[in-house]
This record gives sequence, structure tokens and C-alpha cells, in this order.
Amino acid sequence: MERISRYILVLVSAIAAAVVLPWLYRMTFDKPVHVPFVVYSCVNNDFMIQETENGKQERTDTHGNKYTREEYEQKLPLMYTRQLLTAGTMPDTINGTAIDMHELLKAKSVFYYKPEMMNTPHPELYPLFESESGRANLEMPDDFFRITWRMEFINAETNKIEEEKSRLFSVALYKKGFTFPSKLVAGIPTNRKSCDEGYFITDSADQLFHLKMMDGNPYVKKVDLPEGLKFRFINCVDFKDKKYYAYLFSEDNGIYILTQDEYELIKLPIEGFNPGNCDLRILGDIFYYNVIIRADDHLQVDVLNYSDYKKVDTYRKNWLTRSELPAGKIAAAIFPVQISMTDKNSNFINFYIEKPSGFAWIIVNLILAGIHLFVLLKRKTKISRHFFDLTVVTFTGFFGYIAVNLFQNKLFD
Amino acid sequence: MWKSVIYKEWLKIRWFLAAFTVLGLIDVGYIFLKVRHEFTFSSGKDYWYSILFQRYRYFSFLKYLPLAGAVAVGLAQYLPEIINKRIKLTFHLPLKENKVLLMMHAFGTAGLLVSYLIILFAFWWLSKFFFTNEMITGAFVSVFPWFLAGLTAYFIIALIIFEPVWKYRIYYSLTGVFFLSIYLEPAVTGGYGPVNPVLFVLTGCLSIALIFSAYRFRKGEM
Amino acid sequence: MVNVIECNNLTHYYGRKLVYENLNIHVGEGNIVGLLGKNGTGKTTTINILNGFLRPRSGECLIYGENSQHLSPETKAKTGFLIEGHIQYSFMNISQIEKFYSGFYPKWNPAPYWELMSKLDVTPKQKISVMSCGQRSQVALGLILAQDPDLLILDDFSMGLDPGYRRLFIDYLREYAKSENKTIFATSHIIQDMERLIDEVLIIGYNRVLAQCPVNEFMSKFKQFSFESEKDISELKNEKFVVNLEQVKNKIELYTYEQEGFVKNFLDRQGIDCKNFREIRMGLEDAFIGLTGKY
Repeated sequence: MERISRYILVLVSAIAAAVVLPWLYRMTFDKPVHVPFVVYSCVNNDFMIQETENGKQERTDTHGNKYTREEYEQKLPLMYTRQLLTAGTMPDTINGTAIDMHELLKAKSVFYYKPEMMNTPHPELYPLFESESGRANLEMPDDFFRITWRMEFINAETNKIEEEKSRLFSVALYKKGFTFPSKLVAGIPTNRKSCDEGYFITDSADQLFHLKMMDGNPYVKKVDLPEGLKFRFINCVDFKDKKYYAYLFSEDNGIYILTQDEYELIKLPIEGFNPGNCDLRILGDIFYYNVIIRADDHLQVDVLNYSDYKKVDTYRKNWLTRSELPAGKIAAAIFPVQISMTDKNSNFINFYIEKPSGFAWIIVNLILAGIHLFVLLKRKTKISRHFFDLTVVTFTGFFGYIAVNLFQNKLFD
Repeated sequence: MWKSVIYKEWLKIRWFLAAFTVLGLIDVGYIFLKVRHEFTFSSGKDYWYSILFQRYRYFSFLKYLPLAGAVAVGLAQYLPEIINKRIKLTFHLPLKENKVLLMMHAFGTAGLLVSYLIILFAFWWLSKFFFTNEMITGAFVSVFPWFLAGLTAYFIIALIIFEPVWKYRIYYSLTGVFFLSIYLEPAVTGGYGPVNPVLFVLTGCLSIALIFSAYRFRKGEM
Repeated sequence: MVNVIECNNLTHYYGRKLVYENLNIHVGEGNIVGLLGKNGTGKTTTINILNGFLRPRSGECLIYGENSQHLSPETKAKTGFLIEGHIQYSFMNISQIEKFYSGFYPKWNPAPYWELMSKLDVTPKQKISVMSCGQRSQVALGLILAQDPDLLILDDFSMGLDPGYRRLFIDYLREYAKSENKTIFATSHIIQDMERLIDEVLIIGYNRVLAQCPVNEFMSKFKQFSFESEKDISELKNEKFVVNLEQVKNKIELYTYEQEGFVKNFLDRQGIDCKNFREIRMGLEDAFIGLTGKY
């Protein structure tokens, strides 16, 4: 029993060490990765790159030409509209097209996605706004809905189900072929939006529905999906041009948009996006969409036409990840695994284990086991009693070495 | 015989358990006083909105409560055994040493668990007035690791108190603090969902940690 | 005769410092053995080894034939243990502590305990922590008597007690042990107390056993002779038969196991004059100091 108690203490403290030591190492040696900001210039028809090098900002294009700040902003009039207007350098035409300020502002859109938006716990309760209230401002409803075996509205003040409303909406969904419970519920739950477009909901059979409340009554529309198309995540948007309701990510990592009113699904010609570990920014203007995908080791910018979403150009830059830099390589050598309780791509707490890489750690582990063995031999103890310890040190390196010395293997006869 | 063992432990910790339970109920009461205040002065829907979409946590005042209780009970139960090495009296009783230790430990654990369950029951019961099942479940997923941290701290304190060598007491304390930090990471409501079962197992394994240092004590380790 | 306690070749070190080596102890049933020694000679060490609270560097101790490191519950039920300083769970009161211990021993007899408690003039709810040293010793003694063990191990049972309590303790103990054929293994600083209690003596010095035999035998064999001499006879200390020698001016005290005649002859042969040569009758304390030295 004493032996088992010790084994447990050794293993648990090795785990604690595998969390704490890499964390300390990162605190001491980590350097930030400076990711360039890259957007397409409608003036140059080239990518404009803004990078931070040694604390200074450098602005170039893909041909290596350098730009001052003012020159750079001139190349991106749709991004720095206000600045150029202030400086009086805003052009009247771009590429032969006259600039209509109203149209320009209407077409501007900014969309931002991080994997932790998808990988996050969320109680499945949402406010359904009245989309035809006739009032200038949207009002937060008194109740929140959930979709389990039926759709239920719960009044926030009384914490009780509103039976009639629940039944009304449940029947409406049922009539459109909704298979309860829901899988994804996506919308914009705040009242700080220009108007309310309700929610996009997938059911257990991966069918897609659009749900709104109009004048107190349910509006349900089933969106036809091609065979086999399933969605992993839906981001509803509220853009002034009202071209589409949402960006949708499919299970095979495609990016789709769903057009407003026609409910047409258009797949964007983007490859290499994984919503599980890539940040996504889509910056739209009257000419182009800049689809900026940032992964651990590269930046990819695809430029699509504003009108027909056809790809115009693409840019890619790779860089070394933390584990490929010298500090990371040393870490991989001294730490067989690195455990972190948090992950930047998720809001869940878990044991995120960075697996061993390379073979240097095996040598380090064996050296440590050898040192431990040497110390034991000097103490003239029976080696067979230390078999567990030596095994632990061999497999877990520094973590095990600390653990077996922290909980002394003495007195066990 | 186990009745007598438990009798001694009960004499040592009864008031601490009672005081801690009362403190816990006051803590829970305070939380819901605030909740009710929010409902009255703001509105139910805005309050729900802040919890669901703005990551507001109404129960964060519970975070260190289980830990405090565990430390108090652990010290109350085991410090009197170490003063003048009185645990020798217990080890001299006609029982196997590990058996009597585990009986003592099990009783302390049970006492602490009962306190925790009373506090959690009050929390759940009051929650049902204001929040839906989803919100309550999310809250429970979040507070579960805090209560596990409390139990773990109790197990680690027993380990530390029985350790005869001061140097190692300090090392164990440091290790304990680092290990407990795993249970107390800042997280969104429900964030601990995937890892709670693993933490539960780890805590369970540590329940016999004190056997190791008590053994060292018995063998006269200097 | 069954050996209740048996220690074979007991050797222990504190770090690098030797406490003793190859210590052998045999305590038969019904014997009362006293372990005497100066501070630091290993009395409490021996007690700790006997109770399984210390692992000796080498050698073993057996209690009722079981290794003291792994005593069975049955053996522990038969053994009563008094910790140095009459240590008890002082957060309890005298009723609670009796209730606590009674649950462990089938032979528990509360009568002697309460009899002792009645002599103390305390209430049943008296907390042990507020009792005096002497009162606590009675609590400890009462608990041991109520347990009715066959073997009693008492570490420094007289510590902190004044003479009245000590006398009470010893008389009670000896009477109890002899009438019930109990075995006692005790240590104490106060030799006069030991003298009243024990049958057999075990005296340890630094690193070794100095004497191990029945008290009567020890007292009859170990002698103190006193005489006067003008000569400086300090080199006599090196003689084998001289256990100890003290010389203050011309007064000499010589301790030995030899007979008077042998000593006198030796002194004559060495040409040492010895005026007023006589044997001094010793108590156990005198004998102890004679054997172990004053410093």
C-alpha cells in the first residue's frame, strides 16, 4: 500500500511537472511571431504587406518595393478612406470606376472568426427578436428559446416556459420537417444590429432551417442542401449590402455563403482552411474580398471578386512555428511531452498534450536515467527495488527525475 | 473498533465542519442575494443575456470556498496528531496502521463531502428559482473542479503534515500548489467539461497519498 | 520461559554517530526490567524500535515472537505503551478518552481507570489539556490498567512528576504487575524509582551495554571500595578489574566486580598504601553513577 501510494504521488507530480516546467520555459523564452498584415490593393493589383521588423513597421509589395506610410495608404484607398479624405488625397476613380461614397461604405464588411468561437461551451439558450416590430431599435425579448425535443421559450423573469408560444413555434418547425433536437443554432443574439434575421438552425438530420419571428408568428424556411453537405459551424453576419446571411463552414472545411432572400449556397473557392485551428478574416470592399487565413505556420490571403466570388489572386507566407525555432527545439529535447491546460483554439480546459518531436529527448531521458542509476549505485542500494523509478525516468525524463527524487524511494523492504 | 476511530476524528473536526458548512451557506446566500438584486434592479432578460453571451459568472464567489474548508478541516484533523507525535498512540492501537489511517482519512473525507453536498444542494435549489437547467448545469460544470480542488487539498495537507522531514514538507507544498492550479484555471462557464472526469480520477488516486508520508514517519525518517 | 521481548544484535546509528551495536535484550514473562542509561545513550531509541517507530540499522526486535516493525493487532492489544511525557490526546476530556480507548480492547475494564480518576478530584468533563503533569500521568496509568495488557512498555514514566505521584505510580504498578504476572519494560531518569520497581537491570553506556542482570545480582557483585592514599594512583584506572576510579585529594573511590580480598592484594602488590579501606554499601543510583561515571 505504501508503494502504491508512492507510485501515485510520483506519477501525479510528474504530470504536474509536465504542465509547470514547459509553462515556465515558455514564460522565459517565448518570442512573439510577427504575422504580417497583407491585403490586396485595387490600385496596384498586387498585395500590400505590412510587417513589423525589429520594432519598426515596414511596408512593401510582393515585388519588394518599399513604401512610406502615406504611399502605402494611397494604395489602399478603400481601407484608409477616412484618412485619405482627411488628407485630401482620396481619388475620384479607381481602375476607371467612379467612386460613389455611399456605395463604398455599403460594400465594406469585416468578418472575423477564431477557432475558439466554435470550440466553446455554450448553454443552448437564445433570444428570438421580433423582426417586424416596426420600431427603429430592436428590443431584447423577455424570453429565451431552446430546441430540445421541442422548441421552448422560457421567460427570464419567471423562469417558466411559455407554453402557447412554445407550441406554436414547435408545430411550425415540425411542419417543415424539423427533426428535433437541434444541432447548430446560429444568429446574432444582440440587439445592436441593423435588423433581425432570426436564426439559422441545423437539426439532427443535418437539414438547415431559417427561423424568424414576424409579428409574433413563426417564419420557418427550409434551405435545400446538396446531398451530403453538412455544416460544422455557421457565422451569421449583418452587413450593410445585405448580400448574404452568413458564412458557413462545412464538415469538409469548405467556406460557403448563403445569399439573402434566394437562399443560394455558394462555395467560396478557398482551399486550406480548417476552422479547428485557423483564424479567418474576410475584409470586403466594392471590388474584392480579402480572405485572410492564418494558421500556425503560414498566412494565406485569397482575393475574390466582390461580384462573383471568383479567385483573382493568392498570397502565401510561411514561417517557423515555435517548435521549429531554436528555443522550441531545445524544449522538445528536454521535455518529452509538454502539457498545457489551455489551448488558443479552444475555450475548453483539457490536458492539451504536445507530443514528443525529434529524437533528442530520448537521449536526454537516457542520460537522466543513467545519472539516477549512478547515484543509486553510489548509495549501494539494491537496484531491483528501483525498477519502477528508472522506468519512469527513462520515459518521462526531467519530469520523472524530479518526481522520483521528490518522493524518496527509501525504507521499502 | 472503527466507531472509536471515527469518534476521535469527530471530536476533532465537528466544529470546523459545522462552521464551514454555515460559512458555505452564507456564501451561497450572498450569491443569490446579489442575483435577486440584479433581477430586481436590472431585468431578468438582461441578466440572462450577460450570463449567456457576455460570460458573466454569478457564482465566482464560490471559487476558493471548498479549498478554505478543506484546509481548515485538514489542519484541525491532522495537526493534533503530529504535535508531540501523538499519532504514535493511534498506531499503537490493535489495528493495522494503514487501516486505521485510512479510516481516519475516510471519515474526514466523508465529513467534507457532506459539507460540500449541503452547500451544493443549497446552490442548486436557489438556482432553480432564477435559471434554467442549461445555465445551472453550466454553473455546476464550472464549480465541480473547485470542489475537487478542495478534496485534493485535503489529501495533500494530510500528506504534508505526516511528512517528518521539513525540507520535503516544503517541496510537497510547492508541488501541491502547482498541481492544484490545474483545477483552478480561469475558464468560461462550462469550460472544464471535457477534463472533469480526468480530474475526478486524479483526485481519487491522491486519496491515499498520506500513506506514503505516514510510513516515512513510522520508520523514523529524519 | 517464553521471551516476551527479544532483541538480537541491535545496532543503530544517528546519521554517522553510533548509538550502540550488537545490543541483546531478553525479557522473560513476568519480569520487570529497567533500562538505565545517561542522556543520549539510546533509551528512547530502544523504546521506539520496540514499538516499531524506528527501523534499526541492523538487528531485530521481537515482541511475543513478532518482528517489532510489523506487530500484529493481536500483539498490540496485549501491549500497553506509555509515551515519554505521558503524551495523550489532550483535546479530549477524561470521559471521552476512556470511551475512545474502550472500543479497541475486548478486555477493557474501566474500573481501575475510574478508581484512579476519583482520587484526582476532577469532573468527568475535565479536559486533559488543562490538567497538571501529575494528573495526566494518572490518566495515562489508568488507561493502561484499564487495558489490562500483558506487556507494559513505559518510557520515562516519572518525568515531570513530584515525589508523591511517583511513589503512587510505582507502588501501584509493581503490585499490579506481580499479582497478574505482567511483564514490564521501563526506562526512567530517576534511579530510586527504578530501584523500587524492577527485578532486572539493563544499563547502557555510550556505544555498549554495561550491565544486564537481576538487580540483586548486580548489587551484590558490583562493589564500591573507599580508601585513602597519598599516592597518585590514576593509572590504576587502566587495570582490567577497575570499572571506575575517582580520586579527590587523598580520598579514593574504586568500583569493581572483584572481591575485597582481590583488591587489597593487588594494592599491596603495587605498593599502594590504603588507609581506611572499606566497602561502601551502594544504592542502585550510586551503583549506576559508579558504573557510568559522574560526567
